[in-house]
Amino acid sequence: MLLVQQVLNGLLLGGIYVGVAVAFTLTIGILNFLNFTIPVLFMLAGMVGWSLSVYGLPFGLSDPLGWAPSLAIGILCAIGASLLVERFTYRYFKAKHGDATEHAIPLVSSLGFLLIFEYLVLIAHGSDSQAFRTPFADLNWRVAGLIISIPQVISLAVSLGIVAGLSLLLTRSRIGRALRATAENPDAATLMGVEVNRIVPVVFVLTGLLCGLAGALFAVNYGEVSPYMGDNVGTKAIAGMVIGGLGSVWGAIAGGLIVGLTETLSIHFFGATSVQISVWGLLLVLLLLRPQGLFGHNAIGKGKF
Amino acid sequence: MQLEVAGLDVRYGANHAVRSVDLSVAPGEIVTVLGANGAGKSTLLRAIAGATPISGGTITFEGKQVQSRNTATRVKSGISLVPEGRQIFVSLTVEENLLMGAYTQTGATTHRDVERIFQRFPNLAARRHSAASVLSGGEQQMLAIGRAMLARPKLMMLDEPSLGLSPILVEQLFELIAELNSNGLSILLVEQNTHMALQMASRGYVLELGEVKAEGTAQQLADDPRLAEAYLGAQDAA
Repeated sequence: MLLVQQVLNGLLLGGIYVGVAVAFTLTIGILNFLNFTIPVLFMLAGMVGWSLSVYGLPFGLSDPLGWAPSLAIGILCAIGASLLVERFTYRYFKAKHGDATEHAIPLVSSLGFLLIFEYLVLIAHGSDSQAFRTPFADLNWRVAGLIISIPQVISLAVSLGIVAGLSLLLTRSRIGRALRATAENPDAATLMGVEVNRIVPVVFVLTGLLCGLAGALFAVNYGEVSPYMGDNVGTKAIAGMVIGGLGSVWGAIAGGLIVGLTETLSIHFFGATSVQISVWGLLLVLLLLRPQGLFGHNAIGKGKF
Repeated sequence: MQLEVAGLDVRYGANHAVRSVDLSVAPGEIVTVLGANGAGKSTLLRAIAGATPISGGTITFEGKQVQSRNTATRVKSGISLVPEGRQIFVSLTVEENLLMGAYTQTGATTHRDVERIFQRFPNLAARRHSAASVLSGGEQQMLAIGRAMLARPKLMMLDEPSLGLSPILVEQLFELIAELNSNGLSILLVEQNTHMALQMASRGYVLELGEVKAEGTAQQLADDPRLAEAYLGAQDAA
């Protein structure tokens, strides 16, 4: 039973990684750009959400907000921050220097944004972890010997919703097809009449939305937020993305879940200190056997812009 | 003239890939551009499609200058390019590839257009929900042309469509191009297969190192020693 419980926990943790891993894979696949601000977008949703639920809107505009509106505003902040990054790392330098990715400018400036956002939050709230309270944090369901907390159920539902919504968007909608086509071959997509420059902000909005939702899930599920909460999730999500195959959304979904499961099962069988070795060991072994990842195409990521 | 290119220049850094090219295509005409590898043929087509920036000259399509318009606008106005190497989306299904072709088409007719392509190419219809990567080379070329047709072009530019196809498939491909043309579609064709291209085109241009070396009717070009020279000359230079 304990094992089943761990699998359940692993899937929930994986669900959080999925959101972040998909955000990474979209920007890599479509823009050939490793967006370092992704972990901080995740953190912003959690910390802004926490701040609003404790202090209310800034400048005394309101009393402390409920957990749900707080997190919703947190997610909007993550989307706003993501668009800010698009405007000043990607679009500005691309307009100014043409082939921006060749100069690694977006990479470095996104690292700059990561630190700026992180230290803004540190200045505002210090470096301590903060408890994020939801009214149902201590409610549990006991089903057949399993302990399922209500936040976990909500998290699972939201994770499934993210995956389902994203797969519908990507497979059924015109813009989703254009996103996938651009990810695979931006030149051919341009010849079809896709305006790649208009697709780019869509990618950043999705990035902010996915990271924000994952950050909100994290806050609800673990009841804790901190300015550093994105660091661990960010690296694990990168592992998940690479396991699944760069640029593949299905790969990122599978990879995120695999990393979550590996993590909790590793704790179950080998103890807490084994987590990093299990996750990164799995990644290395997989890369030796299948360098393109589980769902990756060899061609993806090459010859972009 | 439907397409009029005047004084077109394309430079990549120090490389002057297309030098002051004048070219025209009349409505319903098949025009071919010949030349050795590296003569600038693909660059010329890409420049007309708006996929490669130009450094000078004008491109006029149906009376409107389009050289400052982006690719999407040119596709909407009726210029489609079937690129070299086909460039189908291997991670999308066959049907999704066709829908990408119709990306600029906002009308409700898209679905009917896709079905019409499937009627024309039963091999594609049988695999409509499979990843396009499973298609054979010939089927991929059919998909690339079908995809371009869904943009409802008035001028279709084809870049080396026969590359890598067996002689029977090349035959079928040229029959298809002739049939599309007989329905009123203008064709601008870049081909290594000079013999086939001159058989089907009414006029042609010979490009050498980015410059128009010779132009005329297909018959004139077939008899023109400069055509052979253009190929041999570039080989000497390479």
